[in-house]
This record gives sequence, structure tokens and C-alpha cells, in this order.
Amino acid sequence: MRSGRFRLLLAAAVLAGLFAWAVWPWLPRAGAARPPRAIVFYGFSILGEVMNDTIFPAFEKRWRESGGEPVTVVASFAGSGTITNQIVLGVPAELALLSLESDAQRLAEAGAVTQDSWKALPHGGVVNRTPFVILVRPGNPKGIRDFTDLARPGVKVVHADPLTSGGASWAVLAEYGAGARAGGPEAGERLLLGIWKNVVAQASSARAARTQFDNGFGDALVTYEQEALGDRLRGRLTAEIVYPKSTVLSEHTLVVVERNVRPRDRAAVDALARFLWSEEAQRLFVQQGFHSVDEALNDNPAFGRIADPFFASDFGGWRRAKREIVDGIWRERVERRIHP
Amino acid sequence: MKGETRPGTIRGRGAIPAGLLVAVLLPLLLLPLAAVFAFAFRGGVPAFVAALRAPEAVFALRFSLLVAFSTAAINVVLGTFAAYVLSRYRFPGREALGVVVNLPVAIPTVVVGTSLLLLWGPIGLAGRYLVPLGFQPMFAPAGVLLAHLFVTFPYMLGSVKPVLDEIETTYEEAAYTIGASAWQTFRYVLLPALKGGLFAGALLTFAHSLGEFGATVLVSGNLRFRTQTAPLYIFAQFEAGNVANANAVAAVLAVLSFVIFFFLLRFASRRGAAAAGR
Repeated sequence: MRSGRFRLLLAAAVLAGLFAWAVWPWLPRAGAARPPRAIVFYGFSILGEVMNDTIFPAFEKRWRESGGEPVTVVASFAGSGTITNQIVLGVPAELALLSLESDAQRLAEAGAVTQDSWKALPHGGVVNRTPFVILVRPGNPKGIRDFTDLARPGVKVVHADPLTSGGASWAVLAEYGAGARAGGPEAGERLLLGIWKNVVAQASSARAARTQFDNGFGDALVTYEQEALGDRLRGRLTAEIVYPKSTVLSEHTLVVVERNVRPRDRAAVDALARFLWSEEAQRLFVQQGFHSVDEALNDNPAFGRIADPFFASDFGGWRRAKREIVDGIWRERVERRIHP
Repeated sequence: MKGETRPGTIRGRGAIPAGLLVAVLLPLLLLPLAAVFAFAFRGGVPAFVAALRAPEAVFALRFSLLVAFSTAAINVVLGTFAAYVLSRYRFPGREALGVVVNLPVAIPTVVVGTSLLLLWGPIGLAGRYLVPLGFQPMFAPAGVLLAHLFVTFPYMLGSVKPVLDEIETTYEEAAYTIGASAWQTFRYVLLPALKGGLFAGALLTFAHSLGEFGATVLVSGNLRFRTQTAPLYIFAQFEAGNVANANAVAAVLAVLSFVIFFFLLRFASRRGAAAAGR
């Protein structure tokens, strides 16, 4: 009986201890600093480290120096399509950096942002760029040199899912575009079909796709060059980068979600939006493996050379490319033939 | 009384079925759990500690614990009340109500998250009118709590109602006849008998809340330092390829669950022994 009571006391003590530890930061204490005001930022999947480790701290420092009341940026990162849906459903994002301009258009159609409001931002809302590349296993055992090699029988390709991932739509455009620029629209569709026959895993975001690839799935991954350069910077790139002869340079669009911007955050939100195009932020992006929108700053020696880079605008911009290529060709024709 | 077997047990030759069971459980349950700990400590103890001290990880664990404590506290009251009403009163629709309160067991948690969004979210049935008034529970801690209350509601009920059903109403009637109030009857007649069920239900609720993922991922908005619970943190870190960070927190959650289930099992065996001795 005595040991039973002791055990009960012990359980109670453990629970009380856990509770005290959990509630500690929320207790009103003398001398506890009030948590600073927070700006809410949503970004597409691969931005996590770049924003949290370099851009946000740099901004918070500049903002303090300019005499503003301290702010922190709280952020969430997921596939561009996922965060777009979350914003439509009402997450309190004040700023969102989307992988695809068509996601911004989707926000506008849902009434979350004003149509084309991002075009009034610098560079039409485009914050940075990066080409789409192929990652292969060390030593390139399958001898992959270009997108056409991904369509060979027996090559296993890891891809993100265009339903939720902006990177996946960019990759579809890269694959189709590479084929189309070499041999016309039919060649583009043929190449897309060939590659997608070999897709063995579809992850929800570009980052999730990279994790699957890192965990040993597949022979090749189509993704942002920055994803690989960022890993190399952190000393954890295990794959090799293959630069296709012809590929797309992705462009990432910032939107200010006006309906979520609280009046007292206005100045800080606008300052953060402006800061992303400042030379300081653009240099940080370049150092982390993104291409700056300012060509003069693109001096990162790690950047690979693309013989024939192209842009979404070469296919009529994302509004058209989404309708004709991702929905029209990939979803309606390629997917239907693979999974009838 | 050595060598005497309990009724219902087969004497001898237990080694083969037991070995078979272990052989099945090893790849099914034990090895995956072992892998979490192996990966958590692969970088050595300092790396494990560093991963756990990351401010986001600390926040996620604290937030999860607070939500679990709150969920358990609220559902102890709500669940007991529901059990009391369903066990003690006869009214039309009682059986239907009994099914409804147990529904969360059957509904996939993702559906729970979606349904909450479609009610309270800014485009939801009620949210459409409430959000403009500044009432926005979704993508905030309140939304996480709502989801956890929903998902864990039946556990309290399941632990308390069977006990209540067993207690004959004559005791309560006796208490009433000597002039005890409803509260006194509950406090001095029912509560002592219910203590075990309450404790078990609270632990189950706590454990399920601590590990809840499917509904939380939809209603929380997954904001670090704001609404990211420990399971969401694990998922985000794992998806981002930070396996060490994910595993450190996963190991902590696993240990907490072990402790909780250790208490539950001890408790169940004691109660079982007491019941057998009656």
C-alpha cells in the first residue's frame, strides 16, 4: 500500500513537472520580455533554410537599426500549391512567396489577393530564379546527361506532385519545353510521356521529393538547382548535378495578402517585401544558390551553365502554360495514358 | 501455490507460440521503434541534445504538452458528464446519441480536420459570419484544441461509462434518501468508484492528443512558434530531410508514450487483480 501511494506521488510529481515545464514561457513573469510583434510569412517548400537562417535575421536586424519596433517573422513552408490552398482557406499569411505565378492567379480568383497586384511589385513580383536540373546518384551509374535519358526504360525518376508542388509544375514545363524546343510540340509531349512513365514516387513538395530521393528512392530527381547548391553549401549533397542542355529558369512570385495584413503590421510587412529586392537580400539569395533578378549580382561560381535556358514567358506565361501544358498535356493526356 | 495454473491458461509448450508472437512483433512493432532511437542517437548524445534544444523543437514539445493537458482536463469533465447522462438517464434518442459520441473513433482524423475547417474556417458554414467579427479559431491554438477535443472525446467516455454501468443505482438512491444532494452523491458515492476509470481515460486522452496528427495538420496552419505541435514538427523536419531533428523529438514522444502506457498497464493489471479477487 505504501509503495502504491509512493508510485501515485511519483506519477503526480512527473505530471506536475511536465506541466510546469510546458507552461513556463507563457507565465506572466516579472522581467520577461514581451514577445515581439510577428509578421506571418508562407513560402514554398525549398525556401525553409534560406529564409529562416539568412533573409529573416538580416531583415529583423535592418528593421531594428532603422528604429522600428522589434519584429520577428514566423513562417511556414510547404508545396506552393499547398500554401496557396491554405491561404484560400484562411491561414493568416501576410506575405507569401509562391513558386508559381499561376498560384498567385489562383489566389486572385479566390479573392484572397487583388488580381495582378503582384505585378506592381519590383520585377513583376519575381524575387529570384533558379534553373531546373537533374540530380543523379554519385558517379552517375545510369549515365544520365539530359532529360531524354530520363525517358529511357529502366530509369526510375522521383518527381514532386504538380497538384501540390510548384516545383513539379516547373519540372513538367522544363521537360516539355526541352523536348518542344528541340523538335516541336509533339516531341515535347513525347518526352514528357516518356519521363512520366518512369516516375516511381510523387511527393507533395519539391523538398519532400528530395528527401525521398535522399532516402534511396529512384535514380534521378528533377528539381531546382538551388536545392542542390543549398545542400552543397551545408555539406550534405550526396547527389551529382546534371545540367540539361535546355531547361527552364523558374521565377518565384511574392504576393502581399492584403486582407490579412493587420494595420499595425503594415509598415513592417511593406519593409520586408521591399527588403527581398534589396541588394543585401539578393546577394544572400545568390550566396544560397538562387539566381538574383539583378544579373550583375549573379557571381556565384557554383552556378552551372545552361546552353539553352528558357522562361515561362516563352510558353505564353504561366496562365497559359498552366492551362495548355500542365493541365492540357500533362494531366489530360500524359497522365491518362499512363493511368487510364 | 507453485505450479498451479490460472483457469484458462494452457500449461507447458508456451515457448513456441510465444516465440512466434515475438517473431511477428519484431519487424512489425519493435524494430521500427528501435530504428527511431538508433537514428536519434546516431550523431551521438551531444547531437541528440542539440537537436532537442532547438527553439522550434522546444516550442513544439511545450505546445503539444499544453494542448494535451488542456484536452485531458476538458474531456475529463465533458466525457464524464456524457457518460453520466448516457448511463443514468433514459430518454428518446439515447442510443443514437451513444453512437454520435463514439463517432470520432470511426471517423478518419483527416476528415475531422476538414470538417472543422468547413465549419469554423473563413469559408466555413459558421466561420463565414464569425471571422469578420474577429472570431477565428482555425489556424490558431484554439483550432488545435478543438480538433484534439473532437478526436479524443470517446476515450474518456469509453473508460468511465462501463464503470458507471456496473455501479447499481441503489447506492445513489440510498444516498438521496438520506438527504444527499446530487453533487454530494456524485462526490462521495460515484467519484471514489470512478477514480480508476477517470485516471485511465485521462491518460488515454493525453496520449492520443500528444500524438494527434491527421486533424492537427489541417487546422493548425503549421506555423513554427505558434501552432506547430510536436508531431507536425517531426513530419516537417523529416520531410525537409533533417532526420536527426525529427528523430530526437520522435524519441521524446515515444518515451512519453511508454511512460503513459506503463502507468495504464500497471493500473489495468491492478484493477484486473482486484476484479478477480472480488
